[in-house]
Parts: sequence; structure tokens; C-alpha cells
Amino acid sequence: MKHRLSKPLRWVIFGVAFLMCLIFSNTAQAKTYQIGTDVTYPPFEFANKHNQYVGIDIDIMNAIAKEEGFKVHIKPVGFNAAVQAVQSGQEDGVIAGMTITPDRQAKFDFGTPYYKTGVVMAVAKNSRISSFKQLKGKRVALKTGTAAADYANSIKKKYSFKTVTFDDSDNMYQDVTTGNSVACFEDQPVMQYGIKQGLKLKIVSKPANTGWYGFAVKKGTNRALISKFNAGLKKIKANGTYDRIVGKYLGSKTNQAVKGKTFTIGTDVTFPPFEFANKHNKYVGIDMDLIRSIANEQGFKVKIKPLGFNAAVQAVESGQIDGVIAGMSITNARKKQFDFSDPYYTSGVVMAVANNGKVKSLSQLRGKKVAVKTGTAGADYANSLKKKYGFTVTTFDDSNNMYQDVVTGNSAACFEDQPVMQYAIKQGTKLKIATKPAESAPYGFAVKRGQNQALLSAFNNGLKDLKASGTYDDIKAKYLGTGGSQASVKSTGSSTEDRSFIGLIKQNKGALLSGLQETMWLTVVSIFFATIFGVIVGLLGVVPGKAFNWLSSILIYIFRGMPLLVLALFIYTGIPSLTGEKIPAFVAGVITLTFNEGAYIAAFVKGGIEAVDPGQMEAARSLGLPFGKSMRKVILPQGIRIMIPSFINQFIITLKDTSILSIIGLLELTQTGKIIIARNLEGFKVWTIVALMYLIIITLLTWLSNWVQRRTNV
Amino acid sequence: MSEKVKVTNLVKTFGTNEVLKGINLTVQDNEVVVIIGPSGSGKSTLLRTLNKLEEPTSGSIVIDNTDIANKNVNMNTIRENIGMVFQHFNLFNNLTVGENIMLAPVELKKETKAEASKQAKQLLDTVGLKEKFSARVQSLSGGQQQRVAIARALAMNPDIMLFDEPTSALDPEMVGDVLEVMKDLAKKGMTMIVVTHEMGFAKEVADRVVFVDDGQILEQGTPDQIFGHPKNERLRDFLNKILNV
Repeated sequence: MKHRLSKPLRWVIFGVAFLMCLIFSNTAQAKTYQIGTDVTYPPFEFANKHNQYVGIDIDIMNAIAKEEGFKVHIKPVGFNAAVQAVQSGQEDGVIAGMTITPDRQAKFDFGTPYYKTGVVMAVAKNSRISSFKQLKGKRVALKTGTAAADYANSIKKKYSFKTVTFDDSDNMYQDVTTGNSVACFEDQPVMQYGIKQGLKLKIVSKPANTGWYGFAVKKGTNRALISKFNAGLKKIKANGTYDRIVGKYLGSKTNQAVKGKTFTIGTDVTFPPFEFANKHNKYVGIDMDLIRSIANEQGFKVKIKPLGFNAAVQAVESGQIDGVIAGMSITNARKKQFDFSDPYYTSGVVMAVANNGKVKSLSQLRGKKVAVKTGTAGADYANSLKKKYGFTVTTFDDSNNMYQDVVTGNSAACFEDQPVMQYAIKQGTKLKIATKPAESAPYGFAVKRGQNQALLSAFNNGLKDLKASGTYDDIKAKYLGTGGSQASVKSTGSSTEDRSFIGLIKQNKGALLSGLQETMWLTVVSIFFATIFGVIVGLLGVVPGKAFNWLSSILIYIFRGMPLLVLALFIYTGIPSLTGEKIPAFVAGVITLTFNEGAYIAAFVKGGIEAVDPGQMEAARSLGLPFGKSMRKVILPQGIRIMIPSFINQFIITLKDTSILSIIGLLELTQTGKIIIARNLEGFKVWTIVALMYLIIITLLTWLSNWVQRRTNV
Repeated sequence: MSEKVKVTNLVKTFGTNEVLKGINLTVQDNEVVVIIGPSGSGKSTLLRTLNKLEEPTSGSIVIDNTDIANKNVNMNTIRENIGMVFQHFNLFNNLTVGENIMLAPVELKKETKAEASKQAKQLLDTVGLKEKFSARVQSLSGGQQQRVAIARALAMNPDIMLFDEPTSALDPEMVGDVLEVMKDLAKKGMTMIVVTHEMGFAKEVADRVVFVDDGQILEQGTPDQIFGHPKNERLRDFLNKILNV
């Protein structure tokens, strides 16, 4: 709190407050609490034109009192007076935009922080200034004695700007709108309110020196009031009253921050009922419906990327995508990397066994194998128990493979989130749930820690609204049925699908062909760049010059020595972490293949040239032909003939290697297969179809290669 | 007669192995010099340093008043004037007979295809292979290939020809044709340096015979001096072995 009232005024106010306390103390017994506040601190407390005290503080306090069934009498006595009155026990509490500081905590008990604030910089609406750096040599307007002024003075030297100080906010604002000063510093909510009231300014910096406002009582007294305040605050936050109050004074800032923007949201490939592709190959599920409804409600757009859980999580970490919603449990470990939304679903881990399985409890797992899916809460739970119960853990990359491992009897049991397991069983997976949910874990929507806060708060606001409007329950019921686990799942189409080979091909023709197209496209683009890279690196290996030869050998060594999977993940998630630039998955895929396949091409280009009789080069040089010409006219034509079989072979290998790029979420043929299986759980049939598609293409390529070879050997 | 090639104190080492140990040799214009000596004596290396297929380690090689041991010399233009014929022919396998001969004139002298092919046909005629112009290299016998190789070397109109054991890889019945071509060339006044084991050719054609052993020139002179009155012990040993098989 930064208002410094003149001393006499403070005493006057204090005196009035004192008198009022005396007057009202008799009538206001246990039920009516006396709350002090500031005289004027918009938008937290101020008198409106009917001379009624309104503002965020006032409205929150009244709403909480109503919610918790007590009465409050709010008195605008001035900040310092109110604080002192609470200290002396004349008032019960103070709510006055009071920042929670360690000093104050020594003397007051604070309720749950109810508002986050910080110092922001504002400039004229049409100003180009957007960072502190641009303030160099310019004039900045401040208001005496405010936290914002302190902050501005603390960075004044570093950014070398001049300051001018005003006694009240209006003059400070005017100085900026007229252009005398280029910027001013103010508390965020105060500034927001001013702008909402029509000030021709805009906020251009993130809040600095952030702090929380709290409701305070004298230390060690009025515990009951604090707990009522906290309980009430929780309720008004849950039922949307809080947001309405803040929105009323500050405008719906979260909507403004995300409005019209498109966010890329990663999700899992296989995690029904939270996310899965329906038979029209559109992603549906609780997560999908939720994020789309929230986006709709809050006015932003989402682009859903079914990358697979791990890839999605890594893509958020590396900044490739904005957020992840993938039935992701909120854990302390994850909180180090991510900021989570309010929980939107509470799940728990259950153990499932084969329908005819005899395992009924964890203790029967001794010496057996247990299947889990990488990176899931179920996997963590299983790993935490494996020593105690003496079982071994096998890890799978997607749910379907994990289930199949249990169905076939390879593993005795698997651990999975309860709703997922229920859904899978309803879809016909031959498993049964053997234990009660453990490790109950809330699911949250996550963004990279410290990033995309606007998106996160928009999600939270939207979630509240969906809960309030009943949409949230509708979404849940759609996938899990209403009222408990026995309710039938509404049809997602799978039960009516034709499950024969022909039927599967008919239903998924579009998806499979577009997957195949992506595979071919990736292959062709990659082999094109890989050939350029490979020929250059290969030639570097044979030209005169030790440095070139070394460079060639090193490049071949590195890229041939690195597993394709590792290279793909490194390029897709590592490079953005290093450079801060996003890479589209397709580009990352092409780069990966260019380096990897290019290294192999380089090796056989080099080998092919070296396989040409050195006498050919000597003869050419002895005629006076320069090195380059000898290479082009004599050596390369012979070398290329040697290379052609290897080249065709590499083309086929590249085509197959594109399947590895499904790890970074490219919707090529393999990933398409995974997605279809995630929906219909027909692993064997779909993989057979996918395998045949690869074989057909590769057979065609082999024919092509034989034809090319015959032609070159004539 | 003027000095065409003057080699002074030429040393060539491969790693620690000193193959040429200070060679001094002068070749006059129009002279035919035959280099003989046992295997591994360094005679091929000597020949290959003359157009810098091997980089000399030290010493000087002056050809037409240019020291080609100097690193700044543009060897490509020098090589245009020095034809070379290899033991294994080294015809370009990706080209036809005619294209083999035409490649250098078209690429380096900027002759038109028509000019080059006319010249190629003439050259093939002089080596007795007129009808092979369009043949693939692989369809020719060794002797034919070597004659094409000679024609190819001549296409740039060199004034020095280097022959590196041109008949060693041939079946005996092929040797005669190749030697005939070489004799014709000598008669026309070409400056030739020939490494060979064909002592008959040396006796008949050489103006001078040079005996190389262990990286040094041990004796040189007219064929009559070398074959009739060898002075050096090692030369006599060598001639005994080779002539009295």
C-alpha cells in the first residue's frame, strides 16, 4: 500500500474511526465485524457517484460475508488509520489493497492472498515504446511515494531515463498522454482500472516486483474471521463471483490476452476417454471437448496436435507448442517444469488383469511381470511398489500395446488411470479392474513454467464457467456415462464399426492414404536434401585437402553414429531449447533424415568415387584436365554407376525410417496406424494393413530400382 | 638440338623410403631415351615425376625452361604438352574409343566436336584402329586399348611422350603392334622417354639408354655402349639375367 496521507488528515481519520468504533462496538457484537479500508484507492475502494463505497476489496468482503453468513461493517478510514486501528484492537480486520510482506506478517495474520499485483509500465496508446531499453534519455512520469516510483527509481540508472514526479495519478497520466513523458509506472490493477475508465494509455511491460494482497487481522486474534474469510474466498472463486467482481472493475483481462489467438496444444495419441480419434479421424474425448469448449468460451483458438504423451510434454518444455492436455496428473515433480491449471478431473491408478487372471492384489504380483506406459502416473505408482511387492516392470509407449501384453499373458497386470481403464474395458479390451483407485491424482492442463500465463488463466476461467454452466458435466457424461462407473458409455461409434479387414480399410481409407502421402512426401523431400548433403560431404572426403577430408569423416561419423530416434528428438526438442525458435515437426523430421540418411549417402558417394580405378584420374590429369573437370567427366560418371544400387537402397531405407518420426508426432503412416488402433484397439489387423502398405510401396520402389539399374548398365 | 628436359638432383621419398636418390638427366629435343633397370629401381617413379603425377621431394625438373618442381607452376598447361601412356592403358571406361580421344581437345582446346572427331579418326588411322571409333573400350583387346591410349595422348599434340612400361601388361602377340606405333612416332621426331623391358626396342630405336638401379642412374650411353660394352657391374648382371633367359 503506497498512499501517504498527510499527517493531520491521518489523525482526523483516525479520530473519526475511533469514534465510530466506540459508537458501533456495542451493537456490533459477535456477528458484525468491523473492517477498515482506505479512503480512496480505485479500483479496490472508492466512493462512486452515489457516494457509496465500492471496489474490488469492498465487493469481495461483502460477498464473502454473505457466503459465510456474517456481517461486516466496512469503514473507509484511510490505509494507515485502518492498519493502526486493527493493531490496537479497535477494528477486527483490514482489507485495503494491503501487500503481504514479511514485516507485516510479524504483526498481522493474513488470509489467503486474494489478488496478485505488480508494477507495470504504461505508455500512450499510439506509442512505439515497448521495453525499458527504449526509455534511454527519455522522461518518465511517477507518483510520489508509490511502490511503482520506488521501482522506477531502482532501474533509472540501468536504463538511463529521467523522471518527473507528480502528486497524484491523474497528473501523471496526463503527462504521458500529452507526450511530455513517454511512460509512467503504476500498480497493475490501478493502471488497468484507469485504462478501463478511458485513459488513452496501454500497458507494455509484464508486472515487476509482484506481490499479493491479503486480508489482515491482528496477529493471534480473530482466527475465526480468517478461516471464514478463507472459506468464503474459496467459494466465491469456485462459483465465479470472484471473477465477476474483478472483471467488473478491470475488464476481462484474460480474454483480452488470448482473444483471437491460436494456441497449439499437444495431446496423447492413445488415451481414451480423454483423447482419441473417432472414426471420422477427428480428435475427441474429455480433454478435447474441454479444451475446445474453453477456447470457444474464452475466445481463443486451439490447434490440437496428437504427438503422444511424452513427445507432447517435451514439446511444451522446449517451447514447440503452447500447452499440453493429455490426462496429465499434477505432481510435484512436474510442477518444477510446468504451471498447471486448476484440476479438471480427479483420477486414480487401478491395477487391471486379464479377464481370466487370478491376480487380485498387489501381493500376488511377486516374481511376475507388470506392464506400464512410459511417463504415466500408473508407471510411477508401479515403480514405487515394485521393490516392496517384488515384481518387474515392462514399459510400453502406448496403452494398446500395454493392454495386449496383459491379454496375451506376457505380463500379469498393468497399471492405468481408472477412467482410461474403464473406457478400454467397455470398448472390449479383455481386462478387468482388480484394485481400488490409488494415488488419486488430479489432472491438469499444463503450460511451460512461467510461460503462456494468459492461456493458463483463460483455461482456469473457462473451466469455472463450464462447471457453472453444466457443460463440464455434460462432457464428462458423454464419455463416462452419468452417475458412476456402471453407466454405459455413450457410443463413440466403435461398437458399430465393421471390424473385418475390408471394413477397417474402408473406414480408415482416408486416414491411411493421407498417412501414406505424408510418408511419401517426407521421404521425397528428405532424400532430396539428404542427397545434396550426402554428395557434398562425400565429395569433401575425396577432394585434395586434409581439412576437407577430416570434416567429411567427422560429419559421417557423427550422423551415422547417432540413432535416428535420438537425433529426431534432439532436433525437435533440443534445438528450440537452445535457440528459442520453434521448429515445425515436418521440418525437424526432414532435417533429421537429411543428416542421418545424408551421412550414409556421403559414405557411399565417397566409397563409390574411391572404387573408381585411380588410373582413371591419373590418365585424365596427365592430359592436362584439371581436378574438377576430371571428376565430372571421368570419375563421377563411373562412380555414380557404382553408387546407384546403394542409392536406391537408401531411398527404401529412408522410406522405412520415416516411421521413426512418429515419435515427434508427424502424422505419417505409422502414427496414423497408432491413432486408428488407439480408437478401435484392432492392433493386429491395423498393423497388418499398415505393414502391407509399406511393402507395396517398397516393392514398387524395388522395381523402379531394378529398371534404373538395367538402364545404366546397358 | 636443344635441351627439352633437364632433371637436377631429383629426390623422391615415400615416407622414409628414398626411391630416387639424386637423379641428373638431360633429354634433348627429338631424342628417344629408354630407361631400363630392375623392378623397384625407381624408373617408373622417375617417369611419373616428370609430369608431376608424383610430387618431387627435392631437386629441379626443367621442361621447356620451366621448373615444374616449383609449386606455383600450373601443371595443367604443362601437361597438355606431355603425353603419357600407362602400363594398364587407363582408357576412360565411361566413354567410347572416339570420346576418349576427343575429351581433352574438346574440354581444353575448345575444339568443336566435329574438329575433334576428325582429328580422332586420323589418329586412330595412324595406330591402325580406324574402324574402332564408336567401339566401347571394354570390347577392345589389350593391344588395341594401348594403341588407343597412345592416340589419346597424341590428341593434344604434345612435344614430349612418356611411356610407362607400355607393353608389360600385354599378351606377347599384341606387343609388336604397339611397338610399331612407337617406332613410327620416334621416326617422326617425337621426344620420347620410355620405361620398358623391351631390349630389342631399346637397341633399335633409342638414341640413348639409361640404366637406373636403386634410385640412381648408374650408367647411360648409346645402345651400342650399354648393350655391347657395359661398364657397370650391376648393369652387366642385369643384362645377363634379362638377355639369357
